[in-house]
Amino acid sequence: MIFANGTLLPDSERAAVIQGLAAGINAARMAPPLRVETVIAAVDALGKRLAAGEFDSLLTQFLPTGITLEELLPLLSRETLEAKLTAELGPDPFGARAFPKTTARLLPLGTLFHVAPGNMPGLPVYTVLEGLLTGNINLLKLPREDKGLSLAALNILVEQEPQLAPYLYAFDLPSSDQESMAALAALADGVVTWGGEEAIRAMRSMTPAGCKLIEWGHRLSFAYVAGFEEKAAELAALADHIVETGQRLCSSCQVVFLDTQDRQQAEAFCRDLLPYLERAAARRPGPGAGAQATLSGHTALLERIVEGRVQGEVLFRGRGCSVLLRPDQELELSPLEGNVLVKCLPRSKLLPTLRRQRGRLQTAGLLCAPRDREELTALLARAGVTRITRAGSLSAAFPGEGHDGEYPLRRYLRVVDVET
Amino acid sequence: MLSRQRLFWTAHPYDLLRSEEKFLQACRDNAAYHIKHCPGYAAVCAHFGFSPDQLRTPEDLARLPVLPTLFFKRKALFSMPQWRMAMKVTSSGTSGKYSRIGFDWGCILAEAPMVVALGFRHHLVSPKPAHCVILGYRPHRSNHTGVTRTMFGLTHFSPPLSRTYALELVDGAYVPDLDRIAAALQKLEASPFPTRIIGFPSYLWFGLGRMEELGLRVKLPRGSRIILAGGWKQHAAQEVDKATLYALAEKVLGIPEGNVNELFGAVEHPIFYNACERHHFHIPVYGRVIIRDPESLEPLPMGRVGLVNLISPLMTATPTLSVMTDDLGYLTPGEACGCGIQSPYLTILGRVGMADIQTCAAGAAELLGKGEAF
Repeated sequence: MIFANGTLLPDSERAAVIQGLAAGINAARMAPPLRVETVIAAVDALGKRLAAGEFDSLLTQFLPTGITLEELLPLLSRETLEAKLTAELGPDPFGARAFPKTTARLLPLGTLFHVAPGNMPGLPVYTVLEGLLTGNINLLKLPREDKGLSLAALNILVEQEPQLAPYLYAFDLPSSDQESMAALAALADGVVTWGGEEAIRAMRSMTPAGCKLIEWGHRLSFAYVAGFEEKAAELAALADHIVETGQRLCSSCQVVFLDTQDRQQAEAFCRDLLPYLERAAARRPGPGAGAQATLSGHTALLERIVEGRVQGEVLFRGRGCSVLLRPDQELELSPLEGNVLVKCLPRSKLLPTLRRQRGRLQTAGLLCAPRDREELTALLARAGVTRITRAGSLSAAFPGEGHDGEYPLRRYLRVVDVET
Repeated sequence: MLSRQRLFWTAHPYDLLRSEEKFLQACRDNAAYHIKHCPGYAAVCAHFGFSPDQLRTPEDLARLPVLPTLFFKRKALFSMPQWRMAMKVTSSGTSGKYSRIGFDWGCILAEAPMVVALGFRHHLVSPKPAHCVILGYRPHRSNHTGVTRTMFGLTHFSPPLSRTYALELVDGAYVPDLDRIAAALQKLEASPFPTRIIGFPSYLWFGLGRMEELGLRVKLPRGSRIILAGGWKQHAAQEVDKATLYALAEKVLGIPEGNVNELFGAVEHPIFYNACERHHFHIPVYGRVIIRDPESLEPLPMGRVGLVNLISPLMTATPTLSVMTDDLGYLTPGEACGCGIQSPYLTILGRVGMADIQTCAAGAAELLGKGEAF
């Protein structure tokens, strides 16, 4: 299906819609600009209707498992949207700023082409919402896995506020349809790509030279342990985080780095951590989750055996989880599902090691004595980490935080200076 | 490898006790072969301290290193050069990545008597020609999935008069067309020859539902059969219980429950499991099943739910001697079934859910065998 200017159309119309798109976009840009208040009011009203149960039948059809309405609703409130605008763009974001000889204003980039990922349901709608808040026209390539959630959401958004119609287009097209992808990229002032390295490389090659490329790639996160404030509580919180996220998120802890060179100390740490992981794993519902952890850990072990990489490692196997002490220092993906890696990385080697993963670093959960916190925080930040949290909150959402080191809304805007 | 042929050329496909010694010998020989010809498998055996001479009793089969199907999705292991293989087959790769498994000629020679023996036993073989309606893919040289080959092979249990496919290749992609199938079935109603419907259970379920919706009912000729192969695939959430499916098949197609055959197998473990008349998958002599603790991988006693470990000395091109699917299941003693087959039967409860995993950690999608979704 295609969503264009407020109507749902069959895929057979794709070529015709893309052909008429330039004219539609130009007409929208010549009309009075979209006001941020219009967007906020529409989203807020929609949130209230959702809360009142008006769309319950749609929700049961489309709301992905694992996401509850209670988690979704706050994201759609006026307060959240306004707080996001203020945090990222400052107070009065779209007002004129006077300088000695000019005034400066933030204007939308123009047209954004969003290539949305399939790994997070709801994200296609979210990325378009960011585009709308900044007044942009949005062309959305739906992920293959999207079974109608995004189209339904855009449809009710336009029903709520018909003024948004000329700003919203969505296409259900395979990324192998290079011709349509290139045609959409050619219409855009900015291409917003989400996804893994392969997807991002593909979009880089498809984006015209003059077009801004905004990449939200996949990331890796870790914990750094240089001591404790309250050892038992911190290890429990870290273990809960590892098991609860299944280590599948950008912000999930893959490796626990220890500020030591001493193998025996490292082995002692692994033995300390394991029971906390087991306790967290025992709380998982059903035998399925434990089986995933076992399969994933066992498969990763077999792979290392076949590749000849088991020498020098020590595996601490628990029920539905494991801790693997590896002899190297690299930040890498763990076997997931509660199978965490532990490596020795004294603070003197931290920066050069992490620099090798630049562009992939995200969150560091820092466990240390209070007197060390300031120094280690600064060191981690200089190494390229963009979020530094306490033991259990690597994946927590904080109001006002950036996204992978940036404020997304800023990237969807441009500054226009006018001589006075 | 004669011990393998001795095991597979048997006249008693469900006599586990009688086959015990032959099975162990074939496993010893198979493990020794892979250790000699596949350095990766040899390294795995060395790591776990396994050597073929440890297989002395049936209980020792649990000592075989277990390779999850997930492993074959990430690593292609072969124990012979590709030119010596009869064919290379892939799993259907519902979620992006797939296993690559090689088949040797000896394996095909051993499979033939297995399929014939079980085909007769489960009333699949018939001399009367039949029209085949395949609720699956039309074979094409670009399609290497095991299930496509299996379904094509299944059309040969009786002389095939015609083949109609639900999934046709249109512009390089498979497109389902259940309405065309419904029309074909209406035509076959008047044929003097029986119809054989072969396919994915999910497609049968959708097809029957579609026919109900359109108010279509047919009474297919006597002797018509339904042969179900391949799992529920992406439609697992809509899985229905077998009784509902069979009742609908009788109502819409006029095929009685007794004429429904259900098959089970995996590319990594191509043993021809057939459901008995009471719809239970008894274990034939060509394979063994161990249920393992989902958290420790230790073997579990009969009746307990765990990960399903399938063992067969069938293949020498790829070390699939002992594999583990991502299904949970349990075993029940054969006598509890009452159909007369004495060997235990396997009940599959479903996937542990690896396919549904959503991730944004760098590289994790590839690791989970999902391929890049974009």
